[in-house]
Amino acid sequence: MISDSITNASATAAPSARDFGKKKRTNRSAKLKQSKLGLRREQWLSQVAMIHKGDKEEMESNRRTGSEKPDQRDRPVENFDGQGREEENNSGGTDRHESFIESLSNSPNSILSGMNSIPNFSSSSSSGSGGSCSGNITEEEDADDDGCLDDWEAIADALAADDEKHEKENPPESCQERENIKQSASPTDLISGSDVAVRDAKPDCQRTMSRKQKSNQAWRPDDKLRPQGLPNLEKQCSFPVMNLHFSSVKVPSSCPICYEDLDLTDSNFLPCPCGFRLCLFCHKTICDGDGRCPGCRKPYERNTVKVEANVQGGGLTIRLARSSSMFCRS
Amino acid sequence: MIDFSRIQKELQDCGRDNDSSGIRVSPKADDLTRLTGTIPGPIGTPYEGGTFQIDITMPEGYPFEPPKMQFSTKVWHPNISSQSGAICLDILKDQWSPALTLKTALVSIQALLSAPEPKDPQDAVVAEQYMKNYQVFVSTARYWTESFAKKSSLEEKVKKLVEMGFGEAQVRSAIESSGGDENLALEKLCSG
Repeated sequence: MISDSITNASATAAPSARDFGKKKRTNRSAKLKQSKLGLRREQWLSQVAMIHKGDKEEMESNRRTGSEKPDQRDRPVENFDGQGREEENNSGGTDRHESFIESLSNSPNSILSGMNSIPNFSSSSSSGSGGSCSGNITEEEDADDDGCLDDWEAIADALAADDEKHEKENPPESCQERENIKQSASPTDLISGSDVAVRDAKPDCQRTMSRKQKSNQAWRPDDKLRPQGLPNLEKQCSFPVMNLHFSSVKVPSSCPICYEDLDLTDSNFLPCPCGFRLCLFCHKTICDGDGRCPGCRKPYERNTVKVEANVQGGGLTIRLARSSSMFCRS
Repeated sequence: MIDFSRIQKELQDCGRDNDSSGIRVSPKADDLTRLTGTIPGPIGTPYEGGTFQIDITMPEGYPFEPPKMQFSTKVWHPNISSQSGAICLDILKDQWSPALTLKTALVSIQALLSAPEPKDPQDAVVAEQYMKNYQVFVSTARYWTESFAKKSSLEEKVKKLVEMGFGEAQVRSAIESSGGDENLALEKLCSG
């Protein structure tokens, strides 16, 4: 049943996929130079092209026999990915929208991310007016692990198409890709945007469309829910919410040491496992002295603080790298 | 640099709820570095009924350094020097935490009055008496409370001294010149 649908879908999708392939090659030639996956995709493309030459002639027999399963197993991935790419290029407006949303969602976290949102927005808007795909490409190229991101998208598409059970295995995989998702929420969102456009582009392709809807069903909760399911994104997105939650319950409004009001950074600051909160200035003063927590009198665990600092520092450097590259580009 | 805003807020907090605890903190001068704390003697102890005054000196590093506290009222207690009024209490030394306040420190001193630690004494004589002859310790402490920690009214003091055989005008001036201290006034009267 599944294999049959794959055969049919790929067979019907084949001509349009070839069309997309042509556009894609011209559009993506620069983009895929550095990507391993891109090279692989080129190979797939040529395979598909070769197959499609025979495909038109052998479409009938192909449908009956399903003899090319090994190749067709690759093809859905290729097709979806190709379509995703194609729509990614077409959806400049969506990109702008998404990235703006992303910047909004990022903005409460820090001034840096707030700064980040500005170049992000401006760059994607410029990409919307100029080259539709420039914003996306450069953004992906800015990220060092671009290939991983593509790989992840492809894997996720394939998983959605293949079997829903794989969804359960997805989180562990995606754990490796947290950084990618964290950095490139908008490319991830683009896929959902692309799915919408895919339906417009290929209204005749019922099978593929249903597949896409399937993958939409797999994606939609993912687009909205997966970021929250991922620890890093949870930290990033829902921290203000948690703060609000805690501030009503637990977080004091003022520093118990200096009695000054805690700002957002201070109320995010939890230096001791005992839960005693204080402002960063007082913490610094204490660390310059005996370095014991005022709440429990235990010495501040330097390692914990360091790890926190590393996490924060890592996030900062990532954002900085991204925003600085944005600045360079614009 | 002393965090005066914190001290100011602490004073406000103390002024807000001194009715329940009886603990008060008031500045001696305008600069807020020298304060006076007042604690009532804990009920059920030899110090019951007394009101004890504590001199507080705020160090430069407050609240990261403990405030310097010392009884100005004479107290008979193993952990308080009967001579100087120095207090042996860990939270005023190495166990100080910036999260503590003047109020919590005074509460701790009040708790120390009701729970002496004779094994870690400040005044060895008192501690020895506490360990070896508890009844004598209790009566001595009570006597000291009566003598030094109870604020009798001026008229009571005058009446007491007049009963001793001094002239009333003489007594009044002696009490006035000794700052209301009955014993000091008596000394003055005796010395002529």
